[in-house]
Amino acid sequence: MSNQRQASSASQTPHLSPAELSYLYTSLSLPKSPIRPDGRSPTQFRPLTAESNILPGTNGSARIGFADGTQAIVGVKAEVEKTVLSTDTLASSEVGEGEDSTSTSAAASGHGSWVQMSIEIPGFRDDDALPVFLSEMMRESLVGSVADGGGDGDGDVTMAGGLKGRLVINKRWHWRLYIDVLLLSQPLSYPLPLLSLTTHLALLSTKLPKLKSQGEEDPFFDDDWEVAEYLYPRSSNLKAAGNASQHVRPPVTLLVISVGENVIFDPSREEIAFLPSPLLRDTEAGNLKLLSIRTVDPPSRLTQPAVPNSENVNMLGATAPTEDIAVLNPATGEEEVPGVWRPRRGGVKRSVIANMIKTVLKKGGVGEEVLEGLEGVEVE
Amino acid sequence: MKSLRRDLSSNPQASNVASKVFVRSTKSGKVQKIVRELYLRQDIPCSSKLCSLCPSIAPSDANGNIAPFVLSDRPAGTKAFPRGHYLVPDTNALLNGMDLFEHTGAFYDVIILQTVLEELRNQSLPLYNRLLSLIKTDEKRFYLFFNEFRLETHVRRGPEESINDRNDRAVRAVASWYEEHLGASAKKGKKEKSVPAIVVITDDKGSIKKAKAEKVTALSLSEYVSGLEDSEKLLDMISEAREARDSKGPIGQLFYPEYLSMSKMMTGLRAGNLHQGTFNVSPYNYLEASVKVPAFNRPLLILGRDNSNRAISGDMVVIEVLPQDQWKSPSTKIVDEEAVTRNDNPDSEETEAVVSQNERKALQEEVKKAHGKSSEGKPQPTARVVGMIKRGWRQYVGHVDAGSTGSQAASGRRQQTVFVLPMDKKVPKIRVRTRQAGDLIGQRILVTIDTWERDSRYPTGHFIRSLGELETKGAETEALLLEYDVQYKPFPKSVLDCLPSEGHDWKVPATKEDKGWNGRRDLRDLLICSIDPPGCQDIDDALHARPLPNGNFEVGVHIADVSHFVKPNNAMDSEASVRGTTVYLVDKRIDMLPHLLGTDLCSLKPYVERYAFSVLWEVTPNAEIVKSDFTKSVIRSREAFSYERAQLRIDDPSQTDELTESMRNLLKFSKILRQKRYDAGALNLASPEVRIEADSDEVGDPLTDVKTKAMLDTNSLVEEFMLLANITVASKVFDSFSQTALLRRHATPPPQNFEDLINQLSKKRGMELDVSSSGALASSLDRCVDPENPFFNTLVRILATRCMTSAEYFCAGAHAEPEFRHYGLASPIYTHFTSPIRRYADLLVHRQLASAIGYEGEDGHAVIEGVNTRGKLEDICRNINFRHRNAQFAGRASIEYYVGQALKARGEKMAAGGTDSGIDEEGYVMRVFENGVVVFVPRFGIEGVVRLEDFVLPGEAGSRSVSERRELAVHRTTHFDPREYTLRVEEKGHSEKERGVDVELFQRVKVNVSSVKEEGRGAGKRRVRILITE
Repeated sequence: MSNQRQASSASQTPHLSPAELSYLYTSLSLPKSPIRPDGRSPTQFRPLTAESNILPGTNGSARIGFADGTQAIVGVKAEVEKTVLSTDTLASSEVGEGEDSTSTSAAASGHGSWVQMSIEIPGFRDDDALPVFLSEMMRESLVGSVADGGGDGDGDVTMAGGLKGRLVINKRWHWRLYIDVLLLSQPLSYPLPLLSLTTHLALLSTKLPKLKSQGEEDPFFDDDWEVAEYLYPRSSNLKAAGNASQHVRPPVTLLVISVGENVIFDPSREEIAFLPSPLLRDTEAGNLKLLSIRTVDPPSRLTQPAVPNSENVNMLGATAPTEDIAVLNPATGEEEVPGVWRPRRGGVKRSVIANMIKTVLKKGGVGEEVLEGLEGVEVE
Repeated sequence: MKSLRRDLSSNPQASNVASKVFVRSTKSGKVQKIVRELYLRQDIPCSSKLCSLCPSIAPSDANGNIAPFVLSDRPAGTKAFPRGHYLVPDTNALLNGMDLFEHTGAFYDVIILQTVLEELRNQSLPLYNRLLSLIKTDEKRFYLFFNEFRLETHVRRGPEESINDRNDRAVRAVASWYEEHLGASAKKGKKEKSVPAIVVITDDKGSIKKAKAEKVTALSLSEYVSGLEDSEKLLDMISEAREARDSKGPIGQLFYPEYLSMSKMMTGLRAGNLHQGTFNVSPYNYLEASVKVPAFNRPLLILGRDNSNRAISGDMVVIEVLPQDQWKSPSTKIVDEEAVTRNDNPDSEETEAVVSQNERKALQEEVKKAHGKSSEGKPQPTARVVGMIKRGWRQYVGHVDAGSTGSQAASGRRQQTVFVLPMDKKVPKIRVRTRQAGDLIGQRILVTIDTWERDSRYPTGHFIRSLGELETKGAETEALLLEYDVQYKPFPKSVLDCLPSEGHDWKVPATKEDKGWNGRRDLRDLLICSIDPPGCQDIDDALHARPLPNGNFEVGVHIADVSHFVKPNNAMDSEASVRGTTVYLVDKRIDMLPHLLGTDLCSLKPYVERYAFSVLWEVTPNAEIVKSDFTKSVIRSREAFSYERAQLRIDDPSQTDELTESMRNLLKFSKILRQKRYDAGALNLASPEVRIEADSDEVGDPLTDVKTKAMLDTNSLVEEFMLLANITVASKVFDSFSQTALLRRHATPPPQNFEDLINQLSKKRGMELDVSSSGALASSLDRCVDPENPFFNTLVRILATRCMTSAEYFCAGAHAEPEFRHYGLASPIYTHFTSPIRRYADLLVHRQLASAIGYEGEDGHAVIEGVNTRGKLEDICRNINFRHRNAQFAGRASIEYYVGQALKARGEKMAAGGTDSGIDEEGYVMRVFENGVVVFVPRFGIEGVVRLEDFVLPGEAGSRSVSERRELAVHRTTHFDPREYTLRVEEKGHSEKERGVDVELFQRVKVNVSSVKEEGRGAGKRRVRILITE
């Protein structure tokens, strides 16, 4: 039962035979130059189609389709809401008068619950573990990410306090953000990267009506949508496409697998199925920053280990026992027989993780490429 | 990583779909992004009669009819555009020159863009409504072009383009499209028709420049107008708001604080620190105003120019309560604007202490406390205007202050600024720039206010038109009608088309088979008569009474069946609903319904058969009602009596015919009913009414026309039965339409309204007024009698009436049933049913009653349209309440004017004979101020302010001219005792008892009434001057 649930929660992975798994593993773990089933380089992403502002009624929206046919749509809706004041802030809040010192209160710094996320995946109830888990994971990184802002040059647009802070209108009012994520296809592969990229794109295109009132007044907005302001402010110089034209960007989650010493991005369905040790990682823009790392249980663990010929009763005596060179797995201390599938056990080596992080964060690295690629979608 | 964007350019439909995106903030605080998709089409016609293309593509309605084309094929030309021209104004042009566009001398063939109309609606709702009605009229040929929906003229907003720029571009796009389109159509038509010029009118300099680049003819409003005939007059009609904004180089001294932003006001209103209400200026003191706000049960005072902060009577303002140390008691001074030259010092801005939230909250509590106590003498909460929700500006009738025209007035033609003094004393002087100052002096003129900037002491406005010479009957009557917003234009043709085609020859069908008899009872054999004021032409009601075999009586009230002639929702009905009521002026009647109906077909004239709506009761000899019945009927009135004649006939014992008997019975019942009503606690109220019979000859004393209304028994006879009918109908209609019945209520006045009067009575006369219920009030009013002074009781009643709220029409669903009560009549439910010829409410009630009794009309299907939706009814109620009030004001003002004129005529006659000594009368002191008193003169039904100089001190010649008297004021001094309501006037330095005059409240005084030409404000109105002689 639990196995079944886990399987479906990870993805609907193809059932590969131990022999196939073993073949894949061997080719992916070739030192320096792994061979991927679709011939990509380790850091190469599959082509995807992306567009933003596809739902006119929303504050921001995006659609991304991966080449494998999975598609997601995200719509962001913002509503003005009254901040429920605690008694101390009520006493000190003065209409139309200056700020006071209780900036630590939720009214000033925002609250994580102001972002609401719901994910709909075909075939799942909204209270199933997967949607709940996914949405919480994405929301957490969204509201948790606080950019220190203004790292480089013309820091005219900064977003102090991160998304939470951006949602504060004044002490008595705030925006509530509803992010609705809709996966249009069956979750063929692990859907989180797709959903995360789409959400990222939707948030980039999200605009909030321009505030006309000032200070502690009841909010009052400009009725011209054209002057609405981006939720994630942009710097004025759009021409600098090469540069990160945005200082603060919503985080994205990338799926990375490590096979042996190799780090492989954007794993395809088969690769995930195999997933020796996948890592989910959150990056945040500005100067790219790693928010968190999570490991996901590889579905290939569920495949029964193969039996080496030496142990196969049926094969007994059919082959020479000397051909079996038992290799000791350095991580697990287990015996490995080449060509014979055994689920990987244990964690990932530190050096591999370090390599992974470097690949993502370095100038011109994968992270930058992804974020720029998504931003490029914005250019009309 | 590659990302590809979906390409829309291959979609052929994409260019036909546009969308309009905006942000909407709802009242509840929600902010929504609204997206409207626009499906662009190509079949929206240009509506020019020149066009040969559009008639073939214009969409037709379900009957295959194409809307008639509006724009003339021979548009008027000007010097600049000899081939004729169509105008395309932009929003600013309309904002600044709406009066011009309404002018009948120019501005024909105008293309109004949907873009412009929408923009105008956002900027000014009144102007939007005026534009809509302009588009509706056929004469001016205004065409509403839906440019946003037409593919060729739809303009997509460019990146970084402001809405204004985009809209201006849309205007230009339409102009160039029209040019091209008409050109193409002329070519196709092969006839060498001259294509009219398309002229964009815009006051945006940038837009004019761009238009030049795009080869579109564009002119500013003033440029265009300069090219017209009579341009001087027209130029004066351009709004000053714009120019004031432009010419504001170095901002001068700022006299007034800025208004709060909308969001600040909303925050304050929600938090309860600010209040919203209508700004109401005191009629005695132009510097004092009050604002009634829902939070407190007494109005808040606003004192002085600084605090009223550019608000004008009628504006919807937001106010803030001032700190307690600035609370003041209401002024006890009479202050007229022109009397005060420069009393407002803009430098005397109080330095305002910063008040914290809590203090403000506490302040609101203090207001409540202070309001709870008795008001007399104590400082009252004051407030100041901090924001403006909605301006209540309208067009004002006034005249040019001759003193403000300056020396070059005679040389004329140069534009100069003058002050216009509005007739309404509550409205400040209006600064108007005009090129025709010389011509306008001595004229009644209509002006409007455009703006009131912070650096200007007075509002700025512009001239609209002249009504004629001051003091001429025509000009003054029109002025009056305009002031009270009475629709006095003749009925348009569409209304007259709704009248029966037979005209005056219309008759009740002879055979009962005729469909006109459907559902009607034949009451022609009843002895019905009508009793009305003498000379009444629109006879609404008639009565009868006859004994029944069982000893009871049948009493009937028959009301003109107006709803038979006025069908719901036709042009006549909507015109009547707008007019709301017939307005009676002294020498003129402004009808609600066309003459033919009001005075002939509906009027229950004697000796002819008429349709009626009858209410029939069976009553016992003690006037107990056994049953009541309603029916549509046909009646024949036997006689139309005047009150006097009916009274004579009843009193004449030699008359014993059935008709007279019937009237005697009616009289008997009416007396019983009246008694019952008083027993139930109905009030006998008084209003100072006089009647003027204007048709007397020229030779006699004009004042003989002025008569106080005599109350005969027959007056109350009719009144009682009308009340009874109204009450009976009200409960019937309410039974059938519990939500939508049109009723009339008179709210119980809050006791604090009476406080002042109660104080005054107990102080001066030791009398008590019990206001706990209408019955208690009625009986305590009865006890307020002064044997010395028979008029005293009436005076108290007049004063008590003024303390009450006014009765209002409402829709049954709008209030809970206990709130239906009519306080004055002490009836739990009431409506108006008995005067459908002159009141629209009655007409609606007729329709409701007809439907309630299942009357199916001529053609067998009941018509209850227009009476079954509450929203619509509430709109109607609001309008008729407003019209009703205005009609009363207009009537009173007309009488006042007439009295003034009669006094003037008399004065002139006397002057010819030697002296103008005025006329000596009795007056009663109604109010005492620090520097004058208000005196009521029952003989003429007028009240007037008696200022210091108008007291004739002992040993002084009474007859002095106004200017001589004015000199006196500075030499006089007063002792005013607000607690005792006494005022002593004496000459400075002469405090001897016998050299002064003492007056006190309620005192009977001898007055000398004469009409003087008033300078300043009321010019032409012939202020009635009252001198206290004793």
